Amino acid sequence: MDISGADFIRGLALLGAGLAMGLGAIGPGVGEGFAAGKACEAIGRKPEEAGLLTRTMLVGQAVSESTGIYSLVIALLLLFVV
Amino acid sequence: MEELTDIQQITYQLFGYNLVFNVETITMTLIVMGLLLVFSLLATRKINIVPHYVQIVGELLVNLFYGLTKDTLNEEKAKTYFPLIFSVFLFVVFSNWLGIIPKLGEPTKDLNTPLGLAILGAAIAHYSGIRTKGIGGYLKEYFEPFFFMAPLNVIGELAKVVSISFRLYGNIMGGAIIILVVSNLVYSLVLPPVLVMFFGLFVGTIQAFVFTMLTLVYISLQVK
Repeated sequence: MDISGADFIRGLALLGAGLAMGLGAIGPGVGEGFAAGKACEAIGRKPEEAGLLTRTMLVGQAVSESTGIYSLVIALLLLFVV
Repeated sequence: MEELTDIQQITYQLFGYNLVFNVETITMTLIVMGLLLVFSLLATRKINIVPHYVQIVGELLVNLFYGLTKDTLNEEKAKTYFPLIFSVFLFVVFSNWLGIIPKLGEPTKDLNTPLGLAILGAAIAHYSGIRTKGIGGYLKEYFEPFFFMAPLNVIGELAKVVSISFRLYGNIMGGAIIILVVSNLVYSLVLPPVLVMFFGLFVGTIQAFVFTMLTLVYISLQVK
């Protein structure tokens, strides 16, 4: 069984897509959990500000999610374009 | 899974260049524009001191975004930039919500739509920066805090456009792919409606809000 160059590139692209998605999901996971934990602390201290805190937390999480989204885009490029 | 890769395109030859039009994106964008027209007509028809229900929704949204614009910019600048900010929000949120209707796809699923919106926002931000600070003051910003930081500042401005557009595109495209994969796995039985609600309504609204807020912040960084 011999592997041609195109098969080799395809296999490595799939491996790279998996690695990009798996490693890229660590950062946003930690960051969003940190933001949610801090928001919980703040709501515990000031329950009447819960609406404002939740809104700010969601926007902050959506921004910190973007690094994970970049790795998703890279993974999609590797899967469907390479 | 073939839906992901087959994209209907029309190619025109013009002066030796290929002009590629993505049929699905153009159709969905036109549908979104039509929906926005209908919504605006319904919200502004028969305006009364006792509002009817579409007018209530319109007034709530306008109040919310006018307050946000006024907080970020100041009172008189808010009057200039509020229509732009609000139309960007309405367009993006209607685009993201279009995916919850079967057989229709989000226009933001194509990278060209968010990229176009981001370039529009960046162009307006830089133009208003030049208008408020003058061309000298605008160029001087690039050499802050040191002279040799200029390339870094230019790359930073370009990265803003890339990050804001890729964030919207990645979220919507990722949601669409996850819905497609799960629908294939469970034969469209129970889970897909829940996923459509989460990715279409929740993530779509939040990402539209984030896109709008970041455009607003980029404009306010330039005009202050």
